[in-house]
Amino acid sequence: MALFTLTAYKGTDEIAYPVRIFLRFDPLILVTTLLSSHVVPTALLLSLITVFFTLVFGRVFCGWVCPLGTLNDCMGRLTPKENRRKPLGDQLRRLKYYGLVFILVSSLFTLQIAGLADPISLLIRSLAVAVEPAINLMAHTLFDLLYRAHIPVVTDVSEAVYAFLKNYVLAFRQPFFYQGAFIGLIFSAILLANLFRRRFWCTALCPLGALLGIITRISPFKRVVGKGCTSCNLCVKECRTGAASDVKGEWKKAECVLCGECQEDCPEDAVRFGFFPALGPAVGRGKVAGIDLQRRGLITSLVSGILIVPIVRTTPLAKRRAGRLIRPPGALPEDEFLRRCVRCGECMKVCLTNGLQPALLEAGLEGVWTPRFDFHSGYCQYYCTLCGQVCPTGALRKLSQEEKARTKIGLAYIDKNRCIPYAQGVECLVCEEHCPTPDKAIKFEQVEIMTPRGRQRIRRPVIDLKLCIGCGICEYKCPLHDQPAIICTRLGESRADELLPF
Amino acid sequence: MSKLTRREALKLLLAGTGAALAPWPWGNFVSAATPPAPDVVISKGASPSRITEAAIQALGGMSRFVSRGDVVLVKPNMAWDRKPELAATTNPELVATLVRLCLAAGAKEVKVFDNALEDPRRAYVSSGIMAAAKGAGATVRYVDERRFRKMDLKGEALKTWEVYQEAMEVDKIINCPILKHHTTARLTMGMKNLMGLIGGDRGRLHWHLDQAIVDLAAFFKPALVVLDAIRILTANGPQGGSLKYVKQLNTVTAGVDQVAIDAMGARLFGLRPAEMAHLPIAAKRGLGRMDLGKLRIKEVQADS
Repeated sequence: MALFTLTAYKGTDEIAYPVRIFLRFDPLILVTTLLSSHVVPTALLLSLITVFFTLVFGRVFCGWVCPLGTLNDCMGRLTPKENRRKPLGDQLRRLKYYGLVFILVSSLFTLQIAGLADPISLLIRSLAVAVEPAINLMAHTLFDLLYRAHIPVVTDVSEAVYAFLKNYVLAFRQPFFYQGAFIGLIFSAILLANLFRRRFWCTALCPLGALLGIITRISPFKRVVGKGCTSCNLCVKECRTGAASDVKGEWKKAECVLCGECQEDCPEDAVRFGFFPALGPAVGRGKVAGIDLQRRGLITSLVSGILIVPIVRTTPLAKRRAGRLIRPPGALPEDEFLRRCVRCGECMKVCLTNGLQPALLEAGLEGVWTPRFDFHSGYCQYYCTLCGQVCPTGALRKLSQEEKARTKIGLAYIDKNRCIPYAQGVECLVCEEHCPTPDKAIKFEQVEIMTPRGRQRIRRPVIDLKLCIGCGICEYKCPLHDQPAIICTRLGESRADELLPF
Repeated sequence: MSKLTRREALKLLLAGTGAALAPWPWGNFVSAATPPAPDVVISKGASPSRITEAAIQALGGMSRFVSRGDVVLVKPNMAWDRKPELAATTNPELVATLVRLCLAAGAKEVKVFDNALEDPRRAYVSSGIMAAAKGAGATVRYVDERRFRKMDLKGEALKTWEVYQEAMEVDKIINCPILKHHTTARLTMGMKNLMGLIGGDRGRLHWHLDQAIVDLAAFFKPALVVLDAIRILTANGPQGGSLKYVKQLNTVTAGVDQVAIDAMGARLFGLRPAEMAHLPIAAKRGLGRMDLGKLRIKEVQADS
């Protein structure tokens, strides 16, 4: 969480130690990226460390590292007593494996949708797009109230606290995101599922948990229940993932997140974890349950993993992209971009102007929650390269400032029916003032026009399409807020490398 | 008998007063007031901080403008995300020097802020002003959205507008703009720089820009204007972005008269003051004088 707030901007060109560090340790993202785009993102090789630990110990990542797991544990404290004691049914447990198969198969057919359900992507996205804007708004509302009330001592204290929060915790400006509510609802549902069973997400749904669960099958680390066991079933009742068992039952190894609580809780001190414990002094047997998938479910997930590819790729948007789908600078060519982007939303969080927004259907079904520019919300700052710096998979390349300044993400067009000098014969010039290219892409033409006030010479903006980089600041700043008279489309973007008439 | 006319009575009264006041040491006051401070100082030299200091010295020193215990706002142009070399923002050394002089003159606090047009986190850093001003002892904060309040500006174009309250709370405002090209206003100098103290949709001001900035100048009435013409932007303003539009003038011009300083800026740029549409409006409004021929102009050279 601390890292999440640290992924904020202080004015220099580079950004410090961002939250993507968690994504780098995420082997699900590594595997699916590998399958879908046939490249090995070197940064993601860090996740092999996670694989190694899982091979040796088990799902330690889930129990000790995963921030969503930690959040689920916090929420688990709210689970009603009667639900705490009931272990999750095997039917539900299997869901996550079917989900994993579905994701792996579809990524084998080059469809990268792992990010939708990957816990790290999901968490970062939810925090960035839904939670942070909400917390910000609440904080601002509260401190605003105190500020306006101007109560002698209280306001002084609240202002000091507010200054501190603003400096270190809150966003610099109130963020606004499309689908924040939608993404937030999904996130709340995941957290509230803890009321039904503790760590419901981790045991029933998490595809990363499933992957690690499979890997851990060959780990030599074992849980053994010794002779002292009186089958009091305290460990079974207290296990947050329903993996523990007494001396007679089977330990669900693939479910165990190695929190170690059963060992601590056991009144007889009969539970042990260790390597090759059968050889040790502790007497007893560790029975280990398999994953036990059903053929029917496995085939269903396999087939649907294949079928999802033509389903999402036969929408008209997949055939021809919408003109207003403008990607961040440094984005790979669209096909490659879609295979790499895991929708973690970090680029949207760091975007200085709040211009990057999650797509819904603008990029087709395949591009749900991928970043796109919305020039009503913000624009692409000329010198800023943050999105490329935080992207964990290289879907957005890290650009130097010079490269960034050369990268076209689209082109601007003037709507002469609305633009004030064209439509009303009055000078306006705001777009020209803000155009950031060193040689302005928006220039003036001097014209003599007939107005109700007689003949007049005025200046009108024209666009030099060779210089325009499509950053959208003109559209954002156009004084005709309702429907800007200058808009950017994706035509001419550098990555598409299309032949253009100019 | 002769009647005492009103005229004679007044004469008598005057003479009487004169006789009564004659023994006072008037000489001290008169000699302190001479020579009169120049209206406009032009200071030239290689070191930005030294020419700034020399300009203020020639005007009579900072203590003429800043009293002990004052809270002073030094208002540079740091609206853009550009490096200082690109001449889109005020020279950071100039800002730091002003901050230092204010503190030396006994100011309680010196504030530096600007309602930047681009992301302030970038503009404050890129312009180099945040670091320089902080180094000199100023308080540099970003603009707090809550502190804009709609106020009656009593202007011709600006009747009411959102004004940054911190700018209203300070005792003195020292305006330190940069001289540069601007496509709408031709040049942006002192009066235009005051747009950084207001909020609202400033893009819309461009439809009545000349009148609007005169209204701002009449409203804020800075105590001193120090115009940075050390590096000027000759084209593609107000943002620039390329060194080929930057010209080194190594000049600072300062004074109390907002109109005179903008007029001098126009001359330094190579224009006649009358070519700047806002100057006749401001002069007519009684904000100052634009006829440089009639002003006391003092040139100082600050080379080591």
